[in-house]
Amino acid sequence: MLAFIGNRALLAIPTLIFISFISFVIIQLPPGDYVTAYAAQLRHAGEYISPLQEELMREQFGLNDPMIVQYWRWISDIVLRGDFGYSLEWNAPVSTLIWDRLMLTLAISSASLVLTWAIAIPVGVYSASRQYSFLDHLFTVFGFLGKGIPDFLLALILMWLAFAYLNMDVGGLFSPEYQNAPWSFAKLGNLLSHLWIPLVVLATGGAAGLIRVMRANMLDELGKPYVETAYAQGLSEARVVWTYPVRVALNPFISTVGWALPALFSGDVITAVVLNLPTTGPLLLQALKMQDMYLAGSFILILSVFTVVGTLISDILLAWFDPRIRNA
Amino acid sequence: MNAKNWVAAIALAALSSTAMAGSAWAFQEAPMLSEMVEAGSLPPVDERLPANPTVVEALSVGEYGGVWRRAYSGPGDRWGPTKLMEERVLKWTADADGTAVLTPGYIESYSVNEDSTEFTFTLLEGLKWSDGMPVTTEDVEFWYNDVFLNPALVPTIDPTFAPGGVPLELEVQDERTFTIKFAQPYVYFLQILAKDSTGEPSLDRPSFLFPKHYLSQFNDKYASEEELAAAAEEYNVAAWTDLWGSKGALTGWWNNPDLPVITAWKIETPAPAETVTMVRNPYYYAVDQEGNQLPYIDRIEHRLFQDPETLNLMVAQGQIDMQARYMGLDNYTFYKENEERGGYHIVPGLDSNVWSLVPNMNTTDEVLRGLFETEAVRHAMSVAVDRELINELTQSGLAKELQTAPVMGSPYYSEELSTHWTEYDPDLANELLDEAGLSERDGAGFRLRPDGQRFSLVVEANDAAHAKTLELLAENFADVGIEFLPRVIDRTQWDNNRANNDFQMHWIPFDRLTYVPADPRRIMGSDGYANQSFKWYNTDGAEGMEPSAELQQIYDLWDQASQSASVEVADGYVSEMAEIFVNQGWVIGVYGAGTVVNIVSNKLHNVQADLVQDDIFRGVGLARTQQFWIEQD
Repeated sequence: MLAFIGNRALLAIPTLIFISFISFVIIQLPPGDYVTAYAAQLRHAGEYISPLQEELMREQFGLNDPMIVQYWRWISDIVLRGDFGYSLEWNAPVSTLIWDRLMLTLAISSASLVLTWAIAIPVGVYSASRQYSFLDHLFTVFGFLGKGIPDFLLALILMWLAFAYLNMDVGGLFSPEYQNAPWSFAKLGNLLSHLWIPLVVLATGGAAGLIRVMRANMLDELGKPYVETAYAQGLSEARVVWTYPVRVALNPFISTVGWALPALFSGDVITAVVLNLPTTGPLLLQALKMQDMYLAGSFILILSVFTVVGTLISDILLAWFDPRIRNA
Repeated sequence: MNAKNWVAAIALAALSSTAMAGSAWAFQEAPMLSEMVEAGSLPPVDERLPANPTVVEALSVGEYGGVWRRAYSGPGDRWGPTKLMEERVLKWTADADGTAVLTPGYIESYSVNEDSTEFTFTLLEGLKWSDGMPVTTEDVEFWYNDVFLNPALVPTIDPTFAPGGVPLELEVQDERTFTIKFAQPYVYFLQILAKDSTGEPSLDRPSFLFPKHYLSQFNDKYASEEELAAAAEEYNVAAWTDLWGSKGALTGWWNNPDLPVITAWKIETPAPAETVTMVRNPYYYAVDQEGNQLPYIDRIEHRLFQDPETLNLMVAQGQIDMQARYMGLDNYTFYKENEERGGYHIVPGLDSNVWSLVPNMNTTDEVLRGLFETEAVRHAMSVAVDRELINELTQSGLAKELQTAPVMGSPYYSEELSTHWTEYDPDLANELLDEAGLSERDGAGFRLRPDGQRFSLVVEANDAAHAKTLELLAENFADVGIEFLPRVIDRTQWDNNRANNDFQMHWIPFDRLTYVPADPRRIMGSDGYANQSFKWYNTDGAEGMEPSAELQQIYDLWDQASQSASVEVADGYVSEMAEIFVNQGWVIGVYGAGTVVNIVSNKLHNVQADLVQDDIFRGVGLARTQQFWIEQD
């Protein structure tokens, strides 16, 4: 088992080097650079900087150097000093920017992940064990609707309903008066009153898909001989279903932990933009749009590390969870 | 307003700012500051203000206190917050009927010599930085010797501050008075200062001033290499020079709460905070007509938003106290519907852009260039456009149908120019095109160019919001046999196409049409209809394309204007430039002078209506934000 883990960890290193290089190059592929994007943004708002000023900025940011030099400057700082560099746009260290937003991001995405599973697993199990019942059809309809409606659209609709009919303060995670206030119970309450929209949106989108997966897996398992044997032994239905086939059907959930980890870190980008959530996703989107390559590059690198680590964890979990894989 | 009146207006403003001199004067201050004075952490208001503070005539005398809430879209939007409080020796401010007037700021007086080569300024007596230290000509010398002429910080001096290639010179008379000298006459220097201040580093800095007592510790003339390296380390930048510049950790004032300023507010919580806040400067040098120290408002909060729709929700929920930035005319109905609920109203402003079709007079397609160079073709394209229809359908009729020419409120405005070739007349257009030798048509009814190809134009825009307008224009052009192919592309690509001279026609908001000499590059073709010719002019023929005779005439006129001895003479040349530009019809204006939506809370007062919104006048700065006030309960 240790050899298995060590082997996997070693393989991760070249993968990460490759990813970091590729992502750095891809960010720079579109025409222009950060200064061009910045100048264009200013021009959009009716403001100007002269070509001379643009040139000075390029010089200052070292954007005139060959890409490989820029890459080396960036990656050597990360490896040697643990310094993720400086965001050109925000004028702040990348680590501070991400760290500031990480707590809320993790809170929202883990809460929505738990909620997703809390909905998807029982509903999936129920749908499979009562296949073609009224409730199964109902869940199927809602499942497809949830899968079919884009998250951001649902977010917009919920925001509008809350705004127009419930007279609630929507958008963001706090009302303006609590934004910079120290933590208090009132602030927590305010947070909860804002949190339900993103949670509902993220959980329904995710749950809809997982219900289908869970249901299909369960249907595969329910007809198998070991289930029949368990029934024949006189075990109650709840005991049979929850002890045996559910555990097997959970395998896909475990193998997706690898993807869940980076998703926890970045949150859902489009939904966060629409809901004005102070999470890391919009930060990444903006960095890509502005070709702020140190921020975007570091972000993608961290996401890749999480993906690699997550995959490793899910491999280990699977091996631990399912003897067939361990002994294969 | 003619040139003489402009000068008179400047002189009047200078007079009124000193009118309070001599009268016994008791000043009042904000309760927030009184508390600090009582607690002993701040000297009394009379000691903080200059001996004769500048008087800002408030529209109505206001109440102290309150927080002005607005929104910003991220660090790229830094001008949104900073334009609220820019300081210049002379700044554009709106007079009672909304005309932009150059008004002295932190100076007591100024004078210009006869041939406009020497400009003398006297700082207010007792002017102080926000930390209470006095502002003197030492700070001016520091700016000049250790920043402006320091090649490490300013490797190349912007031609704006070195007309004829010779950088401006500084001569200090005494503690408060200094003179700026040029090698050749520079009539529009004061107007350029009002827009660009003294340039890099930090466009938003007050002109000529850098706080020596704070910044010298980060300057190579005063600090050792080790100290500079330590400072760079502390602020987490690669080299000490990165601390400077408009985005620098030190001098980009909206990043650095420690930097002493003279603005009405100073930064309290900088980005990347979710809400950026600014707090009043207790040493601000101006008072209202009753001797109340300005500003009235205690704090400004800028809340981050990601998506324009979220901003609209903030407006409807009454979370915006005053803002014009990012308020689109397409949401006008929504804003109106929610006025009561959000507790705000709309104060209209005047948009200074003319949305225009800009043909590339330098296009590499020689046949097309030949067509663009034919006056009849340009005339035909302009009268083919049904401006009224476009205004009604896309602007709710709130804009005006205009030619690209100096706009209303500009001293160079003329109705004749603004309506040149704007009459919708497709028959005339067809006639003109037929006469120009384009009478042959292909099977689809489109005209053929002299080389036998279809006369078609690829028109690039960079915002999908304009798709509807472009479709209407395409129909108008089709009616006269020209194929008009609209393309909405990414703005970086769009910019690149322009820079690489790889476009046929662009759809742009043509701006800088208010006070033309403050930035005449637009009508000279830069970044627009004749970018390559402008390059030729700028590099003395080393790069770019040779300009046409008429364009050369415009360049010559500008050379004459910029070297004139007086504003009156120079204005004559500028007017002539505008006339040639419009009469040639190089650019096809469609609509402009639309309404700018200012969302203003019902509790916030002194926002003047119908002000021109323009970068040259520094946007909202024209409205004199320090005299805004919020009703307190």
